[in-house]
Formats: sequence, C-alpha cells, structure tokens
Amino acid sequence: MIEVHLYGKLRRFAESRDPRSASIVRAAWETGDTVGDVAARIGIPAAELGSNLFVDGQYAALDSPVPDGARLGLFPHDMQLLYKWYYRPKPAEDAKSES
Amino acid sequence: MERILRINMTDRTATFEEVPEKYAHRGGRWLTSSIVHDEVPATCHPLGPNNKLVFSPGIVTGTASPTSSRISVGGKSPLTGGIKEANAGTGWGRRLANLGIRAIVVEGQAKDGFWLVKITCEGVAFESADAWTGEKLSTVYPTIFDRFDGIESVDVCGIGVAGENRMPAAGVCFNDQNGRPSRYAGRGGLGAVMGSKGLKFIVVDDEGGPGLSPANAELFDAGRKKMAAALTEHAITKPEGALNSYGTAVLVNIINEVGGLPTNNFRSGRFEGAAKIAGEAIFEGNKERTGSTLYNHACSPGCIIRCSNTWHREDGSEHTSCIEYESAWALGANCGIDDLDQVAELNQLCNEYGLDTIEIGGTIAVAMEGGLASFGDGARAIELVEEIGRATPLGKVLGAGAAVTGKTFGVARVPQVKGQNMPAYEPRAIKGIGMTYAISTMGADHTSGYTIAPEILGVSGKLDPLNPDKAELARNFQYATAFIDSTGHCLFIAFAILDIASGFEGMIDECNGMLGTNWTADDVSRIGKEIIDLELDFNRRAGFTKIDDRLPEFMTYEKLPPHDVVWDIADAELDKVFSGRA
Repeated sequence: MIEVHLYGKLRRFAESRDPRSASIVRAAWETGDTVGDVAARIGIPAAELGSNLFVDGQYAALDSPVPDGARLGLFPHDMQLLYKWYYRPKPAEDAKSES
Repeated sequence: MERILRINMTDRTATFEEVPEKYAHRGGRWLTSSIVHDEVPATCHPLGPNNKLVFSPGIVTGTASPTSSRISVGGKSPLTGGIKEANAGTGWGRRLANLGIRAIVVEGQAKDGFWLVKITCEGVAFESADAWTGEKLSTVYPTIFDRFDGIESVDVCGIGVAGENRMPAAGVCFNDQNGRPSRYAGRGGLGAVMGSKGLKFIVVDDEGGPGLSPANAELFDAGRKKMAAALTEHAITKPEGALNSYGTAVLVNIINEVGGLPTNNFRSGRFEGAAKIAGEAIFEGNKERTGSTLYNHACSPGCIIRCSNTWHREDGSEHTSCIEYESAWALGANCGIDDLDQVAELNQLCNEYGLDTIEIGGTIAVAMEGGLASFGDGARAIELVEEIGRATPLGKVLGAGAAVTGKTFGVARVPQVKGQNMPAYEPRAIKGIGMTYAISTMGADHTSGYTIAPEILGVSGKLDPLNPDKAELARNFQYATAFIDSTGHCLFIAFAILDIASGFEGMIDECNGMLGTNWTADDVSRIGKEIIDLELDFNRRAGFTKIDDRLPEFMTYEKLPPHDVVWDIADAELDKVFSGRA
C-alpha cells in the first residue's frame, strides 16, 4: 500500500480536495513499481507531473523505484520550486547498482 | 556621468563625487560590499559613528530589463557583527538610477532627533522627521506621499519604531507600487544602523533626472529580450505559473513534503498544519473571501513574474501584503501556528514596526521554547510582537533577535549562525542549504546561496539531498548569487535562467550592453568571487574565524524527524568551501 499525497491541480484525484488539508490516495503496490507506475495507477497523466516528486521525502523522478509502504508526494507542473540544483533524481539503474 | 552621493548626518551636508575608476561597472551588492569593505573600519561598533549605510541600485536597475528593480543596502550588521547586504524589490532604486546616482553613502550620526532626506535632480534637502516617529508605518507612509506629490512622483525608504530604537532585528522598509510600506531589505539589522544615524526617511523624486543610456543599446535590447522570453516561458516564472498563482508560499507544502520545514523551533521537519498556511491556502482563502480569483502582483516596476500576494480578512478587506514563504514559515510553522489570520497579523505587525519577519519568527519560536508562550499560541505571539512595537524592555530583548532572546531566557537550542536565525529550510534534512548557512558571509542566510553557477547548468549528476559532498556546489552558489545581487535582478530569475540557457546569456548581454564590457559566464564567477572575497576579508578583520562557520551544536546530535537525521558535515568540508581562508 502506497500513501500518495497530492497537491494543486492533482488534488482532484483524491477524495478530499480542500487545499487546506491533505489530499491522500491510498494506492495498491506492485513489485517493481516506479513513481510513474503508481501515478498511472491513480489515473494521473504523466504530463501533469512536475519535477517535484518525492518518495519518503526524497527527491525522485518518474522512473524512481517505490518500496512498499512508501509515502509519495506529487506536485503538478506549475508547482516545482524546490531547487533542482540541490537535487538530481536518482535514476532506477543507479539505485539498482547501489544495492 | 554617474555619481556617488555622500550624506553626512552629523553636520547634515551632502556632497556628490564622481564614481572612482576602481568602482567602474559596479552596482548593487558589488558596490555596497566594496564601499563597506573599503571605508568601514571592520572593528567599529555597528551603531556608532564610523559605520556607514550604503545603498546601490543594480547594474541594470532603472532600465527596461524585466524584474530588475532591486535595491541593495549594505553596512556592518548589528545582528551578526559582520558585513551585510540586504536587498528589496521597489521602485526606489530606479529613481536613484534615473538621477545618475550609483550609490548613497550615509555617514556620521545626527545627535538631534530624526531626519528626512529628500533627493531630487536639484540636490539634497534635510527636514525634521520627529513628527513621524513612534508610529505604525502604514499610518505614516500615506502622509509622506501626500507631502511629496504622491506615489507617482516619489518612492520612500524608511524605518519603523524598531529602527528608531536601534533593534538588531530592524529592517529597512521601501514602498511597493501601491505605496504600501511592505518591501524590506530585512535581514541583519540595517534598519538599526539607519536609526543610529538619526535617519528616518529618504524620499527620492527623479523628475528631471538624466536617465540611463546603455553603452550598446542593441546588445542591451537583445539581452533583455532573451531574459523576458525565458521568464515568460518557464513554468515557475511565467504568467499564471507557480509564482504568479501561489507566490513563494507554494514552497510550504513542498518543503514540508520533503520533511525539511522547521517546526516548533527546529524540532521537526514536518508541520501538521502546513497546508493551512501554504500558498494554496492563501489562494483558496482569498477566493472565498473576495469572491474572485486573485493572481499575484508585482512588488516593483518592470517585474513580469509578479509573485506578491495579499491576504484578505473574512470581510474581504486587505489584511497584509505580502505573505512570503519565509514569513509564512517563520511566523507560522516555526512557532507551531497554523491559523493564517494570525500569521497575517504577525506579518502585518512586522511591516508596521519595521522588523525582519524571519528574525522575528525565529525569536518568537525561541521565546516559546523559553517559556513565554506555548507553541501554536498565535494570540500570545501577537502580544509579544506588539510589545516589541511598544519598545518595552521585554520588547527590546525580543527585538534584539533570536540569539539574544535565547541567551536571556536560557535556551540552548537557538538555530543561528553568526547570530542570525536560520530561514525556512532545515539543514539536517537539506544538507546543501546547511552548508550555505554555515559559510555564508551574511550569517544563516538562504538567499546568498540560492542560485546556480554556470558550471552546474546542464551538468548531470546524482545529488542526494542527504549526501554531504557539496563544498564546490556551495562555493559556486555563493559566487553566482553575488553576481545576480549586483545586476539588480530579483533572484527568482534563477528559476528560468537555470533551465533556459538563453536566459542566462541574456543576463550577461544586458550587462555588457549597459556597461560596454565583454563579460562571459566565466566573469560571472570571477566577479562573484571578487565580491565574496571582499566580504570574507571584512569579516576576517572584524574577528570572524572558521569557528563561526559552524551550525549550532544541538543539530549535531539531535535527530530531526521525520528522517531522523543529524547535521554531520565535517568541519573540514565546510572549511574547504572558501579555501585559503584563515
């Protein structure tokens, strides 16, 4: 089970859409899931996602692996202020080579 | 011919001098730091007669270049005891530039009350400002504008009661395009320096001024067009993009998601009430209360990003402008306050009294830890800030900032570097900003390392936010930011020119077109390094050593939730950033 926190225009994919509270979708998890997989499972078009995507608070990318039980934070394309230059997403290959 | 205006507050004289050759091409932070470095004795008392207060518009301020109306203010800081540059977005600097004034250097001290200085194309006049002291700035600024032909004719620089009382948390206030006294060169207590000189207001009327002519108009024009194109294209800076829609406060939810939003005096990196004080909440609340969708406005002439918000009361009337990310965090999450109306009131009080919202938020949080209030008690926080406004003895302790407040109330956990409270990013969770806090010449400061150096543009690499190998990154950020601070551009252009290389070229073309220079991206770093080296030299002579480039001890052992991380960057890593430093 993945806990997906949605922001901005993406809140519409959750039941609770009030921007002053949490908009959370609890999604099923499958082995080998990436951020992109989970987003697609919820119905979010990839084009609506920005660069500020987080897995357990870590800066991630669409192809970043998602472990079971993780918390995802997905911000839309018009909300991506976190300095990209402090972070580069960890591509899936590097995560594999590090394990 | 450009000039430097010297204003002597001891004998109330004003003299113009030609910009010396050694300062050719300099503007903004480059010029304020140069003059402070060259003329201010590094061991002087910041509130004494030998400190100077320097103002300088940026290299392209006053031109048609978009988002370039920043004014730099410099001096020795009463808060840190080191060199300080703070800048604000306002039309004030443009008027100076139109008058051909490259810098104002305020020297000496008035011993007889407070004074208003008026600058026109005909010269400088002094008049008594005592009648305007002791009041909230929103009541005083309108009378100043009435006195001097309105917001179309003049812009006004001023200090509030905090600066009058020489409080180290006092900022220097400038008006926005609607005449609101709300744009601050906030950090480091430069408002106290201005107050120590008996200077209450500087009013600038640029009618009849010579204006600005670029050395190479065609090149300048090409540059500003590239800049404008990048800004209007990028998702963050474009019309109805992130900043125009939600303002900088959009960062509240982002940094909270990262687990780096300092909460309850830096006890945690996640705040349960974050969403209630974030940019989305401001946008939504305004929609409900005014009945219309409010996009943000420009703080200063020529800004095409337009990120300044206003917050409205339930009855639809305006409460405050504007609630920046830093202010929403400092007066909100850091104090455990999740009521936007209370955050707005705290923000407005800071604007009324002339206080730096970041320092005051940090101070209130430390005061809460010291037992003056419970975390989350917004009503009590408001009372404490009102006490600062009345300049009571407790108010003056609080107005001296977080470190002094911590010392007074026996608080060991003060999140400060060089006496300045940290801004809205937890260094244990975001180690890169932690390095910036530690080594910045300005004390714990987020803007001094907020942007990117050309060497990093387009570089692929794996930067893990929890990976501490960042010495070179931190150094490059310092240099690039220092350069941008000298152009007069708002730092937020960095979002666009980071991703869109032609935007970065545009910034360099603008400068070359304006000045007749031949700078390249390498010169951006070279000049940035020059500026930082001046500042480092001043700080060294002021008595700073590498021991001052450290984060507070408690962060090295106290684990920060939700990631349970400590600050573990080796001292040697920090010392590597500016190699060769004593």
